Amino acid sequence: MTPWLLLLIPLIGAAAIFLTKAELSKWISLGVSLFVFVISILMSVQFEQWGSMGTGLRSETSWINSMGLTLDLGADSVAMMLVLLTTLLTPLCVWGSFNAITSRRKEYYAWLLILETAMLGVFLAQDLILFYVSFELTLVPMFFLIAIYGGKNRAHASVKFFIYTFAGSLFMLAGFVYVAWQNAQTGAGGWSFAIHDLAIYASTKLSATEQGWILLALLAGFAVKIPVFPVHTWLPLAHTEAPTAGSVILAGVLLKLGTFGVYRFVLPMVPEAVVAWAPSIAILGIIGILYAALICWVQDDVKKLVAYSSVSHLGFCVLGLVALNPIGLEGAVLYMINHGLSTGALFFLIGMMYERYHTRDMNMIGGLAKRMPVWSVFMVFFVLASVGLPGLNGFVSEFMCLLGTFVSSTDAQQWPGVLGPQYAAVAAIGMVLAAMYLLIMVGKVVFGTLKEPDTTDRGSLPVDLSLREIGVLAPLAALCIWIGVQPTVLTDAMRGSVEKVLSPYPKRVKEHVEQQHSESIMLKVPESETPDKEDHHA
Amino acid sequence: MMLASFGAATLASYLVVSGILLVIGVVGFLVRRNLIVMFLCTELMFQGAAIAFVAAGRYYLDYSGQVMVIFILTVAAAEAALALALVVFMHRQRDTLDPDAYGELAE
Amino acid sequence: MISIMQSIIATPAGQIDQLVDIVAPTWAQFILWMPLISLVLCGLCAALKVKTKAPAIITVISLATSFVLTLMLYFGYEGAEVIHIFEWIHVHWNGGSFISDFALYIDKLTLLWMLFVTGLGTLIAVYASEYMEHDVGKGYARFFAGVSVFLFAMSCLVMGDNLLMLYLGWEGVGFASYWLIGYFYQRPAAVAAAKKAFIVNRIGDLGLALAIYLIWSTFGTIQYDGISTALAAHNNDAATFSAFGGWTVHAIPYLLMLAAFGKSAQLPLYVWLPDAMEGPTPVSALIHAATMVTAGVYLIARTYPLFQLDDYALPIVAWVGGLTALFAATIGMAQYDIKRIMAYSTVSQLGYMFLGLGVLSSYGAAYHVFTHAFFKAVLFLTCGAIMHGFAGQLDLRKLSGLRKMRGWKIVSYTMLVGCLCLAGFPFTSGYFSKDAILAEAFVTQGSGFEILGWLAIFTAGLTAYYTFRVWFRVCCGPEYYEPGDELHGDDPSSFHPHPPRVAINFVLIAIASGAIIAALPYFMDNETKGINGGWVAEMVHDSPARGGVPNAVVAVVDGEHATAHEGVANAVVDQDHATHGSILGMDPHKAMYYISGVVGMIGLGFAFFFHLARRKAADSLRNKLLASRFTRWLPIAMENKWYVDEFYIAVIRTPLWILGKLFALIDRGIIDGLLVNGIAGTPRAIAKWFSPLHNGAVQSYAVSMIGGAALVILLMMFMPEIMSFLQSTMIGATP
Repeated sequence: MTPWLLLLIPLIGAAAIFLTKAELSKWISLGVSLFVFVISILMSVQFEQWGSMGTGLRSETSWINSMGLTLDLGADSVAMMLVLLTTLLTPLCVWGSFNAITSRRKEYYAWLLILETAMLGVFLAQDLILFYVSFELTLVPMFFLIAIYGGKNRAHASVKFFIYTFAGSLFMLAGFVYVAWQNAQTGAGGWSFAIHDLAIYASTKLSATEQGWILLALLAGFAVKIPVFPVHTWLPLAHTEAPTAGSVILAGVLLKLGTFGVYRFVLPMVPEAVVAWAPSIAILGIIGILYAALICWVQDDVKKLVAYSSVSHLGFCVLGLVALNPIGLEGAVLYMINHGLSTGALFFLIGMMYERYHTRDMNMIGGLAKRMPVWSVFMVFFVLASVGLPGLNGFVSEFMCLLGTFVSSTDAQQWPGVLGPQYAAVAAIGMVLAAMYLLIMVGKVVFGTLKEPDTTDRGSLPVDLSLREIGVLAPLAALCIWIGVQPTVLTDAMRGSVEKVLSPYPKRVKEHVEQQHSESIMLKVPESETPDKEDHHA
Repeated sequence: MMLASFGAATLASYLVVSGILLVIGVVGFLVRRNLIVMFLCTELMFQGAAIAFVAAGRYYLDYSGQVMVIFILTVAAAEAALALALVVFMHRQRDTLDPDAYGELAE
Repeated sequence: MISIMQSIIATPAGQIDQLVDIVAPTWAQFILWMPLISLVLCGLCAALKVKTKAPAIITVISLATSFVLTLMLYFGYEGAEVIHIFEWIHVHWNGGSFISDFALYIDKLTLLWMLFVTGLGTLIAVYASEYMEHDVGKGYARFFAGVSVFLFAMSCLVMGDNLLMLYLGWEGVGFASYWLIGYFYQRPAAVAAAKKAFIVNRIGDLGLALAIYLIWSTFGTIQYDGISTALAAHNNDAATFSAFGGWTVHAIPYLLMLAAFGKSAQLPLYVWLPDAMEGPTPVSALIHAATMVTAGVYLIARTYPLFQLDDYALPIVAWVGGLTALFAATIGMAQYDIKRIMAYSTVSQLGYMFLGLGVLSSYGAAYHVFTHAFFKAVLFLTCGAIMHGFAGQLDLRKLSGLRKMRGWKIVSYTMLVGCLCLAGFPFTSGYFSKDAILAEAFVTQGSGFEILGWLAIFTAGLTAYYTFRVWFRVCCGPEYYEPGDELHGDDPSSFHPHPPRVAINFVLIAIASGAIIAALPYFMDNETKGINGGWVAEMVHDSPARGGVPNAVVAVVDGEHATAHEGVANAVVDQDHATHGSILGMDPHKAMYYISGVVGMIGLGFAFFFHLARRKAADSLRNKLLASRFTRWLPIAMENKWYVDEFYIAVIRTPLWILGKLFALIDRGIIDGLLVNGIAGTPRAIAKWFSPLHNGAVQSYAVSMIGGAALVILLMMFMPEIMSFLQSTMIGATP
C-alpha cells in the first residue's frame, strides 16, 4: 500500500464535503477519517521496520528535478507511531465535535481533514522541502479552526499562533536551505533535499560553527512548536481560544511536530552542536517544567491550566531528547504519544464541560462529581495519567525521560551524555508540582460542594456524558492503560530507529569531553606544560 | 560582438530621444489631473522604452530588442483596453476623472 | 557499625541464587489479581448502579482468597522465590539494559507483611460492609473499589521483586489513599485532606524515584537480589564502593529515607496523616494505621544493606523516629477528637518503628509493625463504631461511661485491649514489641542512642497516658453522651445511640484477639529463643533486613557458607559482645521489661487520676498552665499541633504560590507582552514612518516609485565607489 493513500484520502474527503449538504459533512469526515485510520492500522501491520532502523512504507516520486525536489514518502518506526496517533485522534476529534459545531459545518470538517493530510505529510516526508511545506500547511487549517470557531479572543489568538510559529519556521527553512546549498556546492550530486542524504552530509562535513548556527536555526522553528520556554506564549492563548477539537489536535499532534522535528532533523544532522548545546537546551526545558507548573497553579481557567501543563510536560520530553541515550530518547518518543493521549483527552473533557456550562472558570464551577459522575471518573483518570501514576502511560515516559537524563553523564560507559543527576533531580520537582496543580484543579472542579452556573434559562440541567462522548474517551483511556502496562511493545518497536539516531553520539560526546578537558588544561597551565604532565592529566 | 552603425545618427541620439519621451511621460503623469491624460503619459513612457530597446537591438545586431518591443506593444494594447474600460467605469461612478477623488481605494 | 555492615554485605548472594532456582508457585500471583478482579467487579457494580451489598461481598471474598493464598504460600515456603509475570519496562541496547519486570519476590519479610495486610484487609472489609451500609447504592461500590485498589497496590508494594514495582505500589497506595480519604467528596475538608495526602506523599515519591535512578546507575539493576549480588561482589571492602561512583552509595539511603518518611508520616512530612482522618474510619484503620503507613518501614527493611553503606543514615533514621514519637505524642496528649488522638498515636508509634530500624533492631521494628497493625486497627475500629453509633461524635469530653451502656460492652472491652497493647501494659503484645526496640537503643552503640532510648521511654509514658485518657474518658465514668452533627434528619433530643451489630462486633473481637495473640510469636520460634525476637526475628532473618536481627550473624554461619564467612562472623560476634551496651548496669533486654512496665504504669496512673478519679483536675491543670505567663505556651502549642501546618503554609506554600502569581504576571507582561509582542510590534512601528506615503493619491505613489527607481539607478551608478568604500572600512575594522 502506498503511503499516498494516507495523504490523499483526507483531501478527497474534504473535497467531497464541499460537494454535499452540510448535514452530511460530519458523517463524511468521520467516515473518511475512520477509513484513513483503518488504512494506517493495516499499514502498520504490514510495516516491516518495527524494531529495526530502516525506513519502511517508501514511495519515491520525482517533483522538480532541476532543483532536486522530490515527493518521497516513508516512515521509520517512530514516525509510524506518530502517524497512528494522528489517524486515531482525527476521527475522535471529528466525532467529538458533532454537537459542538453548529454553524459553517462544511468548512470545519473539511479543514480537519486537510489538517490531517498536512500532519501526516510532516511525519511521512522524506524530502526537506516536502516536510517544510507540510509543516507550514498545518498552520492554515489550524488558523481557520481557531479564527472561525474559537472563543472570544480568537482573532488575536489565531494571528499570533500563525505568525509566531511561521516566523520560527522561516529560520528553520533557512537552515535547511543552507545545508542543501552547501551540499550542492561540495557534494557530487548537485541539489538534493533528501533528508537522509543531507543528514549524513551535515553531520559529517559541516564544521562545528556551522552546525551551531544550523542548530539554532532549526530550533527556532521546532522550539516554538514544542513549545520550549521562553517561546511558549502563543500556546496558552491558542489553546484557550481554539475549539475543542482544535485544542486536542494542537496538544495531541501539532506540538509533537516540534519534538519530532528535533528527533528527525536536529539530532541526526548536527550532533556536534547538539552535544555542545544540550545542557542549555536541557536547562530551558527544566525552567519550562517548573515555571509553567507554578503558573498552572494560579490559573482560574481550566483550559489555560491544561495548556500551561503542556508546556511543563513537554519539558520532560525535551530533556529526554537531549539526554542522548536510548532510555531518554525512547522515553521522549513515548512521551509524545502519551501526552497526545492524556492531554488530548483532558481537552476533550474540558470541552464537554464547556458545552454544558459555557464557562471554564474554576471559581464558577465545582463538585461536578455529583452532577456528572461518568465525566468525573474520566477526568480523574486522565489527570492521574497526566500526573504520572504508575500503571498508566504518563509514568512510563516521564520515568524514562528522567532516568535517561539522570544517567546521561560523561563517564557513562555505553551511552555517555552531557547532562547528569543534577538535571534530573531539579526536573523531578516538576512531578510534585504536577500533582499539586492538577489535583488542586480536580479538587475544585470535580470534588467539593456542587457549584454550577445558572443554566435554568436553557430549560434543563446538564446531563452526564452521552454514549458518543464516552465512545470518544474510552479508546484513549484504554490506550493509556495499555501503554502503562505494556510499554515494552512500543519501546521495542522504536528501538532500531532510536539507536540509529543516537549512533554518532557516543563518539561525539567523548570528543567533546576530551576537547573540554584539553581546553581546561590549556587554561590552567599555559605553554610551559611538559608532555609527561599532560599524560598525568589525561 | 557585432556592432552596427546608424549612419550619422549615433546610438546616443536614439537613447536621448527615448529619454526625452520617458521624461515627458513621467512629468505628464505627475502633473496632469486627468486619468485619461495620465494614461496617455504612461503610453509615452512605454514608447520611450521601446525606442531604447529597438535602438540597442539594432546596435548589437540582436533581435531580442525587437522581441521586447513586440511584447511591449502587446502589453500596452491589453493594458489600454483594460484601463480605458476602467476609466469609463469610474467616470460613470463619480462623474470625474481626478485621481484624488478615488483616494479611498487605498483603504 | 562497619563490621555489621560487612557481615550483611557478605552473606546473601549465594543463598539467594540457590533459592531462586526452586520452581516458583505461579498461583501466588493471584494474591495480586484477586483485589484487581474485585476492583473490576466493583466498578461494574457502580456502573450498573447496584443497590445491594454485592460490592462488599465481592471484596470480602476476593480479599479472603488472597489471605488464604498468602497462608498457603507461608506454609509451603521453602525459600526466597521470584515469580515472573510479565515484562513491564525493558530498555535494552547493546551492552546495557534497564529491566523492570512485573514480577514478585517472595521471602519471609514479604510474607510477614502480606499476612497482616491481607488478613486485616479482609476483616476490615467485613467491618466496612456494615459500617458503610448507609451508602449502599450511592458510594458503596466506590468505597469497596477503593479498598480493592489499595489491596492491589499494597500487594505490589510488598511483593514486587524490584524497586519499580515497589514504586508502582507506593504511588498506588497513595492514590488509593487519595481515593478513600476523599470518599466524602462533597465535604471540602475531605477533599483538601485527600489532596494534601497525595501531594505530601509525592515529595516522598520524588525521593524514591531519585533513589531508584541512583541505585540503577550505581548497581546496574533495581532488582532486590541483583542489588544483593552486587553488594556481595564488593563485600568486606568499603573502598571498592568507590567503583560504584563514590558519592552515590552515600546519597541513596537519604533519598530512600525521604520516601519512607513521607509514606510513614515522620517528621517533617507527617502532616498529612492526622488530616487523613477525614476518610471513613475503616480506611483510617486499614490504610492509615495498620498497613500503608508501615510501607516506609518495609522499604527501609527491604533496603537495609543500602542504609548501612553510610555511617550516618541509620542514626538519622533513629533520631527522626525518636523525635517524631515524642513530638506526635505531645500533640496527641492535647487533642480532644479521639480519632485524631489515634492518628497522632500512629505517627508516634511509627516513630518507634523507625527508631527500631535506626538502632539496628529491624526485627523489633517489624514486630512492632505487626503488633501495631492489630491493636491500632482495633482502636480505630472502636472509634469508628462509636462515631457510627453517636452520629459522628468523636469528642472525648462529650462521651462517657460507654462501658455501662447496652450493646457497647464489646466496643469498650476491645478498646481496652487495644489501649493496653498501645500503652505497653506488661505481657501484652505491644509491651514485647516496644521493649525490643527500646532495649536495642541501649544495646547498639551509636550517636546518642542512649539519650534516644531515654526519650523513647519517656514517650512510652506519654503514650500510656494519652491512650488511657481516651479509654477512661469514653468508656468509664458516668453515662453521658451528646450526639454528633451527622444526624441524618434525626431530632437531637430524641437521639438514641445505635450500637454496632454482628459484623462490626465480630471483627472487633477477631482483631482484638489478634492483638492479644500477637504476643505469642515472641516466644515461638525454631532457632532463636525468646529474648532474641522469636518468630518475627525468624521471618526478618530471611531477608535483607537480617542485619538487625539478634544473633543473625551466628545463625548465618551454618552449612556451606560457614567456611567462607566464619572469620568475619566470629569477629563480629566478639565485637558485638564487647560493645554490648547496658542500662543501669544491667542487660538492656531484661532491664527493659521492668523499666517500660513501670513507666507505662506511671502514665496509666496519671490518666486514671486526671480522667477518671478527678476529671476536674485535668481542666484545672490546664487552666493553671494557661494562667501562668511562662507556661501558657505549652498547652496552646500542643493543642494547635505546634503550628506545623501553619509553618509549612507560610514558608513553603505561600511563597510558591506568590512565585506562581509572579510567573503568571511575567509570562503575560514581560515574555508575551514585552518580548513577543514587542518584537512583533517592531515592523509595525517601522511601517508607521512610511504609512503617510500610502495616502491613496495615485500621483504620490508615482512620485515615490520614480524616486525609488532613481535611487536604485544612482546606487548602480556609484556601486563601485560604494563597494570600495565599504571594503576599506570593513577591512580596516577587522585586521
